[in-house]
Amino acid sequence: MFYIIGLGLCDEKDITVRGLEAIKGCSRVYLEAYTSILMVQKERLEAFYGKDLILADRDMVETESDEILRDADKKDVALLVVGDPFGATTHTDIILRARSLKIPVRVVHNASIMNAIGACGLQLYNFGQTVSLVFFSETWKPDSFYDRIKENADLGMHTLVLLDIKVKEQSEENLARGRKIYEPPRYMSITQAVSQLIEIEELREGGILTPDKTLAIAMSRVGGSEGQERIVSGTLSELLSQPPEVFGEPLHSLVIVGRRLHHLEVEYAETFAVNRESWRSTARDVYGCALD
Amino acid sequence: MVNFTVGQIRELMDRPTNIRNMSVIAHVDHGKSTLTDSLVSKAGIIASAKAGDMRFTDTREDEKERGITIKSTAISMYFEVDKEDVGAIKQKTIGNEFLINLIDSPGHVDFSSEVTAALRVTDGALVVVDCVEGVCVQTETVLRQALTERIKPVVIINKVDRALLELQVDKEALFQSFRRTIENVNVIISTYHDETLGDVQVYPEKGTVAFGSGLHGWAFTLRQFASRYSKKFGVDKEKMMAKLWGDNYFNPATRKWTTKGNDADGKPLDRAFNMFVLDPIFKIFDSVMNFKKDAIGPMLEKLDIKLAQDERDLEGKVLLKVIMRKFLPAGDSLLEMIVINLPSPATAQRYRVETLYEGPMDDESAIGIRDCDPKAPLVFYVSKMVPTSDKGRFYAFGRVFSGTVRAGPKIRIQGPNYVPGKKDDLFVKSVQRTVLMMGRYVEPIEDCPAGNICGLVGIDQFLLKSGTLTTSETAHNMRVMKFSVSPVVQVAVEVKNAADLPKLVEGLKRLSKSDPCVQAWINESGEHIVAGAGELHLEICLKDLEEDHAGVPLKKSDPVVAYRETVKAESSIVALSKSQNKHNRLYAKAQPIDEELSLAIESGKVTARDDYKIRARVLADEFGWDVTDARKIWCFGPDTTGPNLLVDVTKGVQYLNEIKDSCVAAFQWATKEGPCAEENMRGVRVNILDVTLHTDAIHRGGGQIIPTCRRVTYAACLLATPGIQEPVYLVEIQCPENAIGGIYSVLNKRRGQVFSEEQRVGTPMFTVKAYLPIMESFGFNVDEWISSRQGLQDRRTRQGYPYSQGSQARYPFSRHLLRQAVRKVVELRSIISVVSTLFSRVPVFPCSVSHQSSNRCIPPAGSSVYIYALSCHVARVLSYCISLYSLFWLDVQ
Repeated sequence: MFYIIGLGLCDEKDITVRGLEAIKGCSRVYLEAYTSILMVQKERLEAFYGKDLILADRDMVETESDEILRDADKKDVALLVVGDPFGATTHTDIILRARSLKIPVRVVHNASIMNAIGACGLQLYNFGQTVSLVFFSETWKPDSFYDRIKENADLGMHTLVLLDIKVKEQSEENLARGRKIYEPPRYMSITQAVSQLIEIEELREGGILTPDKTLAIAMSRVGGSEGQERIVSGTLSELLSQPPEVFGEPLHSLVIVGRRLHHLEVEYAETFAVNRESWRSTARDVYGCALD
Repeated sequence: MVNFTVGQIRELMDRPTNIRNMSVIAHVDHGKSTLTDSLVSKAGIIASAKAGDMRFTDTREDEKERGITIKSTAISMYFEVDKEDVGAIKQKTIGNEFLINLIDSPGHVDFSSEVTAALRVTDGALVVVDCVEGVCVQTETVLRQALTERIKPVVIINKVDRALLELQVDKEALFQSFRRTIENVNVIISTYHDETLGDVQVYPEKGTVAFGSGLHGWAFTLRQFASRYSKKFGVDKEKMMAKLWGDNYFNPATRKWTTKGNDADGKPLDRAFNMFVLDPIFKIFDSVMNFKKDAIGPMLEKLDIKLAQDERDLEGKVLLKVIMRKFLPAGDSLLEMIVINLPSPATAQRYRVETLYEGPMDDESAIGIRDCDPKAPLVFYVSKMVPTSDKGRFYAFGRVFSGTVRAGPKIRIQGPNYVPGKKDDLFVKSVQRTVLMMGRYVEPIEDCPAGNICGLVGIDQFLLKSGTLTTSETAHNMRVMKFSVSPVVQVAVEVKNAADLPKLVEGLKRLSKSDPCVQAWINESGEHIVAGAGELHLEICLKDLEEDHAGVPLKKSDPVVAYRETVKAESSIVALSKSQNKHNRLYAKAQPIDEELSLAIESGKVTARDDYKIRARVLADEFGWDVTDARKIWCFGPDTTGPNLLVDVTKGVQYLNEIKDSCVAAFQWATKEGPCAEENMRGVRVNILDVTLHTDAIHRGGGQIIPTCRRVTYAACLLATPGIQEPVYLVEIQCPENAIGGIYSVLNKRRGQVFSEEQRVGTPMFTVKAYLPIMESFGFNVDEWISSRQGLQDRRTRQGYPYSQGSQARYPFSRHLLRQAVRKVVELRSIISVVSTLFSRVPVFPCSVSHQSSNRCIPPAGSSVYIYALSCHVARVLSYCISLYSLFWLDVQ
């Protein structure tokens, strides 16, 4: 049996009982650690699960799936995925491969940022397409996410923006030459994300990300323990002017608030506002939300 | 005695109308440096008696030893011309003092890059042609280079003394040979005709052709004879010049001019050129060489030549030299020709600015260049680095095109990769000193205004080989120089003593700075590789490296040449490659680019920096491209400039522009290390036919797309009948008829291909032209040629240097290539397997096993299907038909 097990958001204890039982019976356990990261080290997971974990980087999952799936038809093998197994589209491929090798697959679900984002007070029903925001380089500034945000905005929906992480990536030259030399890990900060959003807004002038008139909620380490989770709300320009420590440690996510804003949502998120006054007034004046 | 001061020169620098920047160019051994001596002695820098023997501009020890020029050498000279000649100058001039900045360049093909660097900073060229040998390969090459840089040529037919003394030709035959040579030159000039430059063909009757002997120190133009005779005949000088050339005859009986060769009675008349110009020269030669002592005295009196007391006792050649030098001093006639006919910077920069400057023609820098304005913002082009006496430091040698360069103020140093508005390849530093280059020494000057050539101290560490210096923030670069040769011969060097390694590394840095063409790098296996244009070039570079730049004993490998990988047909099927995460797919096909277009890209006629619309127009009009395709060229490769193109031919694909960067990056590396032998690719066009991409940018970043695009490029090329090209020399051999058989057999043995064999008009000599692979040319001349009897001359542009004994080893070509290819098998296996796994709809290698797939290099059967596939492939590469692909890159047979 090949298990794909979601680990949840925070630390070793977020795993489900079903997941933990599955791990206990596995002969090999892989830990995927590039689409997201947990807030604790591998050793703590190993201690808690009582199993040695094999770290699987992008390269391994994408190119050595045969090795991961070896003997999975006879023994139990697990691939641990931070969050929910289907949170990242990447893992559908390995399931397809397992199927073609006639290996039975079982998925153990868990919480993911895709649902935990509800913590910010916005209703999950009102979220549109999720987009991810990559690190811009001097020459490479993909802005197609803007169209997705715009589609959401046109329908009045909120947009969850996932921020790029580069855990174990090669530089362009090394990629081109096929050398496996990796760059140090990088995580995009809220400040950088907001400034990239504003940059594209200035370029495209679609009027959906106007810094002063767009409400957004920044979140970090959702589901983390006391003092870890941070939620900060405000207009884009307010978020941009905050010092980095306000947003806490990575990983970060950002929600762009859609026009179809419910007054309860405003009220709930007001708790996290940088400036409660302007939060309310923007919601009222710009979003046309009746707050009284 | 130097008859001028630096002060005088500096004063003239402010008068751009009175400056002539010129280079001396020619085939090897046609006498450039020797002729230059005449001018140098005229300026009083060397004694006139030494002129012709000294070769003042050959400054290096090895240049003197070998008798060839290796580095171009610049010298600034001050001259005054006769006041009456000033009237003949058709451009604006002030006064009769002139500053001539002369650059003597090497003629050997291996050092062509030095010529290119010299031409860039000059406006005129003195083209030297050997009277006996006529126009040769390298004459044509340098002339072509000059004309494409918009440089006006004047010609001197040199070594006339050889024709008289050795070949004993008569007057009419000599005239005919002059005329033929000039015609040949003019054919080349009109081939590269440039509207803006106008008609620059040379005509003796207009004074743009001189005749002379550099060795003997004499030369003349028709102007000099015309001024002698114009008084006598009472005709205007210009008209007289016209009469002295071509089919003009003078009938002494009737004292009438005619254009018919016979007089009224049908008796043949003497051509005016023969009668008035050649006759006195022939008489002097005749009486001196045949010791007719009595005739010499009256003749000298008639010609107004006065000999000093001790000179009267001389005899033979020595006397001849003295007389001819007094009769027709080479310095005077050359100087006159240069000053009258070559453009001043003020004139030349007006029409050269378009070809020199990359930016818009109406910005302040372009206007400054156009007007040669010393008060405009500085624009200085560094064309090469000249070693100083201070070891490891260099003068940045070049020309001020606009503004004034002086020590002190901060200037922007823009390397070749600088892009306006960006900060790459840009330094802001100040010049420490400016110096005047005077051949063997330098003179410090305070500053240097527009139109002049000078050297700069203190900025060498910010420049690699060449660059643009400016004070304008908005200035674009000067166009980079395109060399007619490329570094294709390589050796690996290592230190004999491991402790010297840092010195070698430092030495390689200096070496690559000191030569415009040489390249040095470290390859994958950690060897230091030095690459040069040819064997001789490399030999000189290594000697410099060993003795000078590094100063440590070195071990050198045998030379090998760089090959190019290409494709010869369109991919048989569409190549497909999936990204690692399987969410993105690229579909591509490769196809060959026309040889003409490859050459145009290599020579800089079509470049990555052109405006894409204009480029598309050119590609459509001249190379038969589809305009829509031509507009969608993503990039050139390798190094963003090479002769391979990545073209987007997709239709309406979303997000395509977001992967363009990754594809461009991948294409650079793919074309740098091709699929067969990891050599550069050449003449390959890769069409991206279609792509499917993940909607989210995070799943199609560089990490996913770059390896995918690299693989799809390789796959497309392997499916497109891959081939290998090798560099070849164009060899020209002059020999008597009975030696031709030997030549053919030697050429055959060396895989040479003869494509032309013709007799030189009026001589028993034959000219054989052939392509000779550079690989086979190593150790070429001594062993077979010279020993194979009867003085045949190898005019391969590399005649006459003593060949070093060290590197004569020959490389059986095919074995070398096979070895190289097989070495790659292991590394390539992975790629090939990827290719095959990714061709989901395709069988592996649709190639038939050719008869040549003999197995000395092939692993035992059955070891792996992929190795087998590759070996078929190697066999195919080797069995390629002999087809003439290009002048300098031929398919490997």
